[in-house]
Amino acid sequence: MNSISDSAIIAALGRQLNRTVARQQVAASNLANIDTPGYRAQDVRFAETLDATLQTTGVGGDVPIVTETSGAAVRRDGNSVQVDREMLNLTRAAGDFSAAQTALAAKFRLVRYAINEGR
Amino acid sequence: MSLFAALGASASALDAERSRLEVAVSNIANAESTRGPDGQPYRRRDVLLAPNSIESFDAALGNVGAVGVKVVNIVEDQSSFRKRYEPSHPDADGEGFVSMPNVDVPEEMVDMVGAARAYQANIAAINVIRDTFARSLELGK
Repeated sequence: MNSISDSAIIAALGRQLNRTVARQQVAASNLANIDTPGYRAQDVRFAETLDATLQTTGVGGDVPIVTETSGAAVRRDGNSVQVDREMLNLTRAAGDFSAAQTALAAKFRLVRYAINEGR
Repeated sequence: MSLFAALGASASALDAERSRLEVAVSNIANAESTRGPDGQPYRRRDVLLAPNSIESFDAALGNVGAVGVKVVNIVEDQSSFRKRYEPSHPDADGEGFVSMPNVDVPEEMVDMVGAARAYQANIAAINVIRDTFARSLELGK
């Protein structure tokens, strides 16, 4: 088994926080434009980004790709935002953020424990 | 990407939806106004919305920027006035018809409910983002 360094885990959790924030931002943007004629709902994708990051060694390259949501029904005013879908995305992203935050806080607690010599 | 930009996008939407509410309410209030400042009946007004990218440092760097919304213009509806036969009315023409504003009250009500719901959805979004923000502050504890 490969040993994973502590800093790699912390960096990964940090990236996860960034990702969930990007997802919340896109969902908030879509909700803001719920009545804007011609606005197409946007989506963030990370799968391609992950592949790219895994191929190129290193931490960088974690840039989210924002694209139009595919397959969403377009209303007569050219808008394709669906409230329920966006609220779901927003809530899910907030939940993922919470999870990553909990893990990161636990990680920091361990570091503090070591610094304080177990006290 | 930042939570502040997301909040900015939602806040801009609150502003835009409030404008829509204001305009819908003015339209309903003036559904019977037959004489405006120019002597013409009141014309129904409409809000034009457009996407508006929130300026942030991240956006300048080419990362994902939040997209808010802005009120581009408030335009008058140029459709023709309704005619009502009311010879005793001071604004009646020679044949006894009064030009009434081109406001359709049920339509305005529908618009108003739509704007109120969109406002609500954005408030919900702000609450979720605020909770996330509070959560991120707990990392420092």
